[in-house]
Amino acid sequence: MLVRPSSDDLRTIAFSLGTIFHIAGVAGVVPLLWAAFGREWAPLSSFALMIGVFLIGGSLLQRHPPASKTLEWSHGMVVVAVTWITVPLIGSIPLAMSGHFGDLLDAYFDAMSGLTTTGLSLLQDLDHLAPSLNFWRHLLHFLGGQGIIIAALSLFAGGAGLTLYYGEARDEKILPSVTSTARFIWGVALVHLVFGVAALALTAWLGLGFTPGRSLFHGLMIFFAGFDTGGFAPQSTSLGYYHSALFEAVTAVLMVAGAMSFGLHFALWRAPGRRRRGEPARRSTLWSLETRSIVATFGITLVLTFIGLAALGIHDSVLGMARQGVFHVLSAHTGTGFATIGSAELATWGGLAFGGMAIAMALGGMASSTAGGVKALRVGLTVRTVRDQMREVLLPERALMSRSYRQGGRRRELTPKVSQAVMTVSLLYVALFLLGAGVGLAYGYPLEAALFESVSAGANVGLSVGLTDPSMPVLLQVVYLLQMWLGRLEFAAAFVLVGFLWAWWRGR
Amino acid sequence: MMRRALATLLLLLLWAAPAGAQEDVVAVADLLADPASFAAPAVSSITVVGELVGDYGGRDGHVWTQINDDAYAAAPLLAGGSLAGGNVGIGVRIPDGLFSIARSDTPGGYRHRGPIVRITGAWRHHDPDRGGESYLDAETMELVAHEQPLDEGLRPIPLIVGVVLGAGGVALWIDDRRRARFR
Repeated sequence: MLVRPSSDDLRTIAFSLGTIFHIAGVAGVVPLLWAAFGREWAPLSSFALMIGVFLIGGSLLQRHPPASKTLEWSHGMVVVAVTWITVPLIGSIPLAMSGHFGDLLDAYFDAMSGLTTTGLSLLQDLDHLAPSLNFWRHLLHFLGGQGIIIAALSLFAGGAGLTLYYGEARDEKILPSVTSTARFIWGVALVHLVFGVAALALTAWLGLGFTPGRSLFHGLMIFFAGFDTGGFAPQSTSLGYYHSALFEAVTAVLMVAGAMSFGLHFALWRAPGRRRRGEPARRSTLWSLETRSIVATFGITLVLTFIGLAALGIHDSVLGMARQGVFHVLSAHTGTGFATIGSAELATWGGLAFGGMAIAMALGGMASSTAGGVKALRVGLTVRTVRDQMREVLLPERALMSRSYRQGGRRRELTPKVSQAVMTVSLLYVALFLLGAGVGLAYGYPLEAALFESVSAGANVGLSVGLTDPSMPVLLQVVYLLQMWLGRLEFAAAFVLVGFLWAWWRGR
Repeated sequence: MMRRALATLLLLLLWAAPAGAQEDVVAVADLLADPASFAAPAVSSITVVGELVGDYGGRDGHVWTQINDDAYAAAPLLAGGSLAGGNVGIGVRIPDGLFSIARSDTPGGYRHRGPIVRITGAWRHHDPDRGGESYLDAETMELVAHEQPLDEGLRPIPLIVGVVLGAGGVALWIDDRRRARFR
């Protein structure tokens, strides 16, 4: 029998959601101050309205606190799923008021794309957008990538936050408590923020000849979009704007850092300390199944793309092909979505180049990172499962087989339950990609373009071959919105929300 | 009304001036749709007319910037122009000597329509000497129109509503904390 959620369940969910609204409102003060200092009065008004809605909404949601502060598994999942729908809704207020979007849905699309670190955009005339609004779009990447929920955990949730943490598709607890893990994640982000922005700004200032102020602006924007594998850019020509191999290289380092799991970050951060104490380096932590998987798939997709580009004959020089090939495959595989060529040219990458890019986008980065896609650990476990199945068939019937894999410095058992879970999520991703591609095909777009754009939306990448455009059909836009949301949450929280609503409607 | 008239005047300026050179002007949208067919050395030079936007990055005796020839160059949004899709632009490399005529103009951005220039040069498509980058290598440059400062004022109603809602939110939050202490 379905049990209808009690009023205390709803109050528990509303209370947590209220906390997240308050945090989002406080985050909105940063672009408001930016607008005030830049004397950008119209954006300032819209930021004030957005902050007001976040604060009053958060306080109203917390008006009737629950009797019990315990956040159960289903509560946390619902909070996460609703957060990722409502925060972009309110966060799109300044965008909608900017005059750079055709309608409210377009503005919501951009805010959802920002928060889910996708990077597809329907903004028109980006080159004349107010810097404070541009900053807000990129800050959405940072809030979504590092997780506003992670912020809530590190500040308020304490032990009750485990379910929120997992709900946001982060499956690796690095430190004993979720709160300390959340604080570590924000610590990593802030250290990268300082060094990343400094490296990019210095490159722009000394290498590209930009003014110091503009160098800092570009450094900050590209850091947010690169480290959080988002893909928005401050200018309409994305990374192609900079015409600099050095700038691309610095950005690539940040993209890789963003696609690395926080467990791997933790291991790398602790490595110097271990060396100082004379302890042996934990090679197994660094060279885990996940690391090997992502290195292998990056290599394979890069080779495919190189062969494809060579066959297309676009480039006269090997160096040019290598630079563009490596950057774009890295951008696709990490789920960032930066490009140094226009969408019209990317659309001409047919054959193996298309295949390499699409596969790289679909596979994505590491688990517990800011990247989207199927994720390297699932790819590795899928391959391991298939290999074990084949071995089982080939070995004598009574032979004993060890089924395990190395991850996070430990050997873990590859149980049928783990294999089943991995396969299920992987298949759901395939279904998600096919959904968008099918709708695109139904509207008459070519198969390759429809599939490319769908994978880009579902895997939260943001590379585009031109389908994502202000004139796109509304239904396709809604499907991409759904794909971005589902892809970011990796399905679980979304399914729990649907189940919760069903129980509310049909339960007793 | 005044802004619309100015925008129309600029459009006329763009299309009326130097009739001889007009025939060679390439639309950036056409260039991006088939970039290889305009590439040097097969095509010695092309002419693009548009707005300089973003930054002026000075390096190696050149200035790197972006030229847009979209609808916003002729009719910026803040001057009453309508939405017309994404920007349409390409990178351009201009020798320092040529660039002096536009250096004092602020590049296009928020509250600025950048200078409108007519640039003739070679379209370097995946230039092997620059690691495969594509850009317009300027040989001549002519200033068609100076930058145009634009204005966007405060919107009092959203600001007031936002402040009232925000203050209400904070007041409720404080009240909740106070009540929680007494429970």
